[in-house]
Amino acid sequence: MVSIDIELHDVRKVYYKSTLAIPVLEGIDLQIAAGEFVVFMGPSGSGKSTLLHLLGGLDQPTSGSIRIGADYLEQMSETELTRWRSHHVGFIFQMYHLVPVLTAAENVELPLLLFELSSRERRQRVELALSVVGLAERMEHRPSQLSGGQEQRVAIARAIVTDPDLILADEPTGDLDAKTSTEILELLQLLNRDFGKTILMVTHDPKAASYGRRILHLEKGILHRDETNQPIHTSR
Amino acid sequence: MVRRLSSLLTFVVVSVVVLVLAVLLSFAAGIRASLKSSGHPENILVLKSGATAESTSILSPDEVNRMVQTPGVANSTTGELLISPELCVQTSIPRQGSGAMANVAIRGVEPMAFEVHPEVRIVAGRCFEPGVLEAVVGKAASERFSGLQVGSLVQLGRLNNQVFEVVGIFEAGGNAFESEIWTARTTLASSYDRRYISSVAMRIESPAAVPTSLDYINGPAVRLQAKTELNYYEELSSKTREIVLLSSVLIFIMGIGAVFAVANTMHAAVDSRRREIAMLRTLGFSRRSIGLAFWFESLIICLLACGCGLAGSMAFSGTKQDFLSDATWTVLAYQLQVTPDIALTAIILAVTVGTLGAVLPAWRASRVPILEALRKA
Repeated sequence: MVSIDIELHDVRKVYYKSTLAIPVLEGIDLQIAAGEFVVFMGPSGSGKSTLLHLLGGLDQPTSGSIRIGADYLEQMSETELTRWRSHHVGFIFQMYHLVPVLTAAENVELPLLLFELSSRERRQRVELALSVVGLAERMEHRPSQLSGGQEQRVAIARAIVTDPDLILADEPTGDLDAKTSTEILELLQLLNRDFGKTILMVTHDPKAASYGRRILHLEKGILHRDETNQPIHTSR
Repeated sequence: MVRRLSSLLTFVVVSVVVLVLAVLLSFAAGIRASLKSSGHPENILVLKSGATAESTSILSPDEVNRMVQTPGVANSTTGELLISPELCVQTSIPRQGSGAMANVAIRGVEPMAFEVHPEVRIVAGRCFEPGVLEAVVGKAASERFSGLQVGSLVQLGRLNNQVFEVVGIFEAGGNAFESEIWTARTTLASSYDRRYISSVAMRIESPAAVPTSLDYINGPAVRLQAKTELNYYEELSSKTREIVLLSSVLIFIMGIGAVFAVANTMHAAVDSRRREIAMLRTLGFSRRSIGLAFWFESLIICLLACGCGLAGSMAFSGTKQDFLSDATWTVLAYQLQVTPDIALTAIILAVTVGTLGAVLPAWRASRVPILEALRKA
């Protein structure tokens, strides 16, 4: 795995509601080094989730440039972005988004179906990913048989199973209790510290933000403050 | 729960459409099989010019005599020409069960008929004797009509006043003869006061010699209408074309309903899985793969339903039915047959319904806006 750095230049995003233009991001300039754990904070409507979606290739900027490694996302077609996502990005959502009829192992295996791997290779990778998140014993459980924290761990295993350079987490603890949130954040910290993953996380929660090494504050679509943080939670 | 019910209903609808298709086509296949097996490739059937069936054909003894010179006619083991003059009349006999009257063909034959039509063989009782009011009955006729069992007495004749005894039952490989009553030609001619015959069946030495024989009879030397038995019975099976046409119209209408049922189910599937679709698109699954997944799901439902419908239709396969031939105005018995061709047609129908029903939902699924679907989750 080769870690990749990120550079945004004058990134703007405008949504249109009939003829009304709603600017969401208004000229973001940003550099993120490979292996950073960056947290985006800000009030609702500040544009932090939109920025995360642009960085994950789920949306295109209205103007400006987003370079991730050697790839300029704004120059890619829809098909190219889809392929790029499968190779470079792992997503973690607040609502987990697991397929209820599949087991934990099958959910984790889903992104691997896009790669030319034998079923044995896929199985090995799934087992490794689930053991990293501490759910090796729950491989055959369905989401309905897991707790919220366990579901989020499965989602994290799904995000890392393809060994992506970049992990994007959108409010990953927003639906969890305090204790489980801590476990998830420590897991993300582990992935950043021990596996060298670049992690970009959106959160409202200052406690969750304290796990990152860098905290970016957005307000009304503008990068308001860029703080370096000394993570205090390093229990693993 | 709602989706399961919708999928189940779609499954039932497609199963019923396939079942109806298979049963209707098996009617046609059964009739076609019955009539096709009635003809032998080396047999020629001679009728009066212009006649469309034996029942409307009248041949005089002179005309029959002219046929003796036909080139290529095969000989029996005893050296006689394999030419069988036959007289066809019809009578009304009550069906078993309902008692409704139906027309049954009576064929007057000479001993030579059993050599020209070697598939006809007595399986119960014995053969009739010339000059005696005796008859043998085809197996299908015996099973479907009252009073046509061995030992029964049946009233026949022009005035319906001659009592024939059924002395035997014959089989003929399931062909149209099995729906008939056979007796001696002279006896039948006397009973019905007929001085002519209806047709002549003759066996030709080889299929290669058949065209020459046909040309001779159709030509100036005889001036009658000759055709191979296969062609004759093929023409009689025109009823099957009507059944196929009617089936096609019915299945087309039912198929449209099935397409809407499939589309409805698949649209519901897309709506309930928008979040899953968005998640899969996020992971890197292409629009094409999402669309194909929904198409495959639709095909699986339809093909499973097709299997169920075909299995249901097998319950009808082998069932005995009969139909009134519009050419002979007599009842012909046949067996419903679910053939490999019918199964293939049903599979093609299921795939078509599954594909047409999935087109729009699959397109919608491939176009689900990722961010909007994730947000609404």
